[in-house]
Amino acid sequence: MKKRVLLIGSFNKARSLATSLIKKGYLVTAINNNYQDCLILAEIDSLTVINGDGTKPFILDEANAQNADIAIALSQRDDDNLIICELCKKKFNVKKTVAIINDPKKTEFFHKMGVDSVVCSTSAITGIIEQQAFMDEIAISIPIGEGHISIAEVPITQTSPAVGKKLWEINLPKEVIVGCILRHEHNMIPRGDTRILAGDILVLISSDKQETVAIKELTGR
Amino acid sequence: MEIFKNNKKDRDYTIIIGCGRLGTGLADSLSDRGGNVLVIDNDKDAFRKLPPSYGGLTLIGDATDIDVLHEAQIKNANAVVCVTNNDNTNIMIAQIAKELFKIEHVIARLYDPERECVYREFGIATICPAVLSANEIRKLLGNAKKEDEVE
Repeated sequence: MKKRVLLIGSFNKARSLATSLIKKGYLVTAINNNYQDCLILAEIDSLTVINGDGTKPFILDEANAQNADIAIALSQRDDDNLIICELCKKKFNVKKTVAIINDPKKTEFFHKMGVDSVVCSTSAITGIIEQQAFMDEIAISIPIGEGHISIAEVPITQTSPAVGKKLWEINLPKEVIVGCILRHEHNMIPRGDTRILAGDILVLISSDKQETVAIKELTGR
Repeated sequence: MEIFKNNKKDRDYTIIIGCGRLGTGLADSLSDRGGNVLVIDNDKDAFRKLPPSYGGLTLIGDATDIDVLHEAQIKNANAVVCVTNNDNTNIMIAQIAKELFKIEHVIARLYDPERECVYREFGIATICPAVLSANEIRKLLGNAKKEDEVE
């Protein structure tokens, strides 16, 4: 059976999410407060569009929220998104609720209120900006576990202080491990006596606080 | 009674969020009766509605921001009243006050009574103007009818 997804609020996010979810085979319904936006959304094939305020129970009812598997609250306001998720969860028994929030300090509070997944747009965007700005030092950094843990690819160059050292000779912070070394298309799981060579790419798994310290230790930057 | 002054439970400190007509009226009457009152609003012009005689405190800021609530010393409050003009804001602040700060008395004004299931289980008291007005009007109509019968 196809999974039903409910998108509430936000024009641009709803439009691109709807397009990509429909392609993946989900049944998507979008709720939007703005009539003009609804008209444009309605041009997307097989997207159901409801015009109204998604924080109102009768609008959610009209959108068949009781049959939805996932509800995603995308509106600009944190409070609206909280109420949408709580209504979906408590009144319509939606299995999974997702909320976008602006204020990263409220992430924990939203979880406490029963929202299953909380996406903080502010910290996600600042994370991407940081990553772009330090692109030459870190190839890729993926935050996981609410952003407290990250996986980073760190390229080692000739000038890096870690070159030629064995792993146990490097003074890495406690909350960091080198999970994998990518060397000329060979992937190896390193041990303490593995020597790091120039051209290696190290895959670091670390807590968000220790990541930059570890990268500095390895690359000298 | 002096002994109890520093005891948190006996201290009378009310935080009112939203400085509209209801917020100002409530703040003024509570502070008149000798309670400690703090009004929070994100618009500094809103405080002009407070009468010159108002003896409580004011704080400019967004009360949905947990840092602003800390600044308001919400931990010392025994009552938080949410009377902004946005129902969803009121519900969220009421839930923050109740769940994160364990405030004993949390009251929210809500225009739309339909969202009840969201706050019912949290022990948040709610005031709904539409319901109150309807009751009051029914009472007035009832009285009018009775008067008719007497005549």
